[in-house]
Amino acid sequence: MPATKTAPPAKTAGSSQSPISSLWKAYYDNTSTRLKTIDAFLVYLMLSGIIQFLYCILVTNFPFNAFLAGFASCVGQFVLAASLRAQVNPANRKEFKEVSPERAFAEFALGSIVLHFFVYNFLG
Amino acid sequence: MRFLRQLLLSVLALASLALARSSTGDSVLILLDPSLKKEDFSVFFGDLEKKGYQLTFRSPKDATPEIIKDDVSQFAHVVVFAPNTKSFAADVTPQSLVSLLSKNTNLLLALSPKQTPLSSLASEFSLILPPPGTPLVSHFPKRDTPPTVIPVDVPATHDIISPNLPPVWFSGVPQALGNNPMLVPILKAPPQAFASDADSDKGADALVEAADKSGEGLWAGSSLSLVTGFQALSNARATWLGGVELFSDDFINKEISKGVKSGNRRFASDVAAWTFQESHVLRIDSVEHHRVNETLPRETYTINDRVTYTTYISKYNPELDLWEPYSGIKDMQLEFTMLDPHIRTSLPPIAGEPGKYSVTFRVPDRHGVFKFVNDYKRKGWTYLTSSTVVPVVPPRHDEYPRFLSAAWPYYAGAFSTSAAFVLFVTLWLAGDDREPKKSKGAKAE
Repeated sequence: MPATKTAPPAKTAGSSQSPISSLWKAYYDNTSTRLKTIDAFLVYLMLSGIIQFLYCILVTNFPFNAFLAGFASCVGQFVLAASLRAQVNPANRKEFKEVSPERAFAEFALGSIVLHFFVYNFLG
Repeated sequence: MRFLRQLLLSVLALASLALARSSTGDSVLILLDPSLKKEDFSVFFGDLEKKGYQLTFRSPKDATPEIIKDDVSQFAHVVVFAPNTKSFAADVTPQSLVSLLSKNTNLLLALSPKQTPLSSLASEFSLILPPPGTPLVSHFPKRDTPPTVIPVDVPATHDIISPNLPPVWFSGVPQALGNNPMLVPILKAPPQAFASDADSDKGADALVEAADKSGEGLWAGSSLSLVTGFQALSNARATWLGGVELFSDDFINKEISKGVKSGNRRFASDVAAWTFQESHVLRIDSVEHHRVNETLPRETYTINDRVTYTTYISKYNPELDLWEPYSGIKDMQLEFTMLDPHIRTSLPPIAGEPGKYSVTFRVPDRHGVFKFVNDYKRKGWTYLTSSTVVPVVPPRHDEYPRFLSAAWPYYAGAFSTSAAFVLFVTLWLAGDDREPKKSKGAKAE
């Protein structure tokens, strides 16, 4: 039986760095600027929502309508931005044949404006 | 101007027996028993006329002049000196005398050891009279007069009577006071006096028994009142005298001790002054209420408002016949009431502004219809009552604070989301889509 060195040599490309930083490097290199902008927006919205939620639980939920408005602002904007990212991503061209990126962005902008209108109305 | 007024006041005060007017009128009807002679009371009636009263004399059994005609009181004051009359004329009944009080007519009534129609009326005023035929008797101090003629010390400081009067002579019945807050005792019996048959102390055994029974039925001591005032809720005053002789010339001119005249003349004048609404007469001039930084009253107040309530009180000055602002009330209270007083606070006089009493307080946290109630009742003084109804409403929709400080994280969150959205749109539209460089690198190779 020929000794087959079947075990492939371990990939040394990322062995000197941790998996997190290799993940980050792969993400950073392989994602377009546009998508990265959307991702930064999403991260900011998530942080803002978490801060408001913690304030509501830990300190007071006194103007509850204000909490709902602020939290819904973050969550709704997050949902809209996430759907924009899904429609604009070139890897998803097959599912979104009839939606051009420009149309997706226009719908995102319109939805956001309506969301903000409702938010400020409910904020009191 | 003020100095001249002070000078005028002091000159008038020196001759103060003269020219003291009543605040309610000058006409006096005197029901004088036929057995009594007008001349026997000449000093008292003369003093009244000098003060400016118009006296009308009538016997209790005469039909005219009537005290009430067509349901209107014909005189400002009525004096009843009728100790020996068993029955009065038709218009003078206990009911008509009481109705005079509600018509703002003042009464000066004299009792006697005999049973008169007034004896049963006295019990309506919470005065309990001893059995008929038992005048006040005192064997102390040793004196020449019969035991029923008693010198009574006047308290040195008294609200209604001038201070430091010599003792007054008294002869008549004592009254025991019931539990009525409208009674104003003016002269109390001396502690050694008791009510008994005049000639001999036959009733002494009854007294001893009553004293053993811890005071039941005991007509003795200084809890008995000899001259009692009564102020009705209509502020009309009725004074009950234990006997007419208190105001007679005999007692006025009788000497209490060597060379010292009795205090009867001054006492009679003071009692008449209180009864005929000369002294101790107050009134509320006006009542104001407004929010702290405004001057006009509002139709409704909002809860938690700060509101100022002001009242102006005047006292009648009998010498000058006018009402002067009076700041001497130290214990007036204001109640802000809706079924129960929600606020009860003192209404102090304001220094520097005579007659003005004011307080600022916070309207309670309840809405409803409230009343500002000022209810000042003190013995001897006119009753002051005032009630002002004012609605209190909850805040309107635009009277709440616009931005709540507890909600600033949510305001910040919503604004930052909007700002981030605008920034994102700018970045999206400013940049264009750049693919990653790997395809270009492959092509270059």
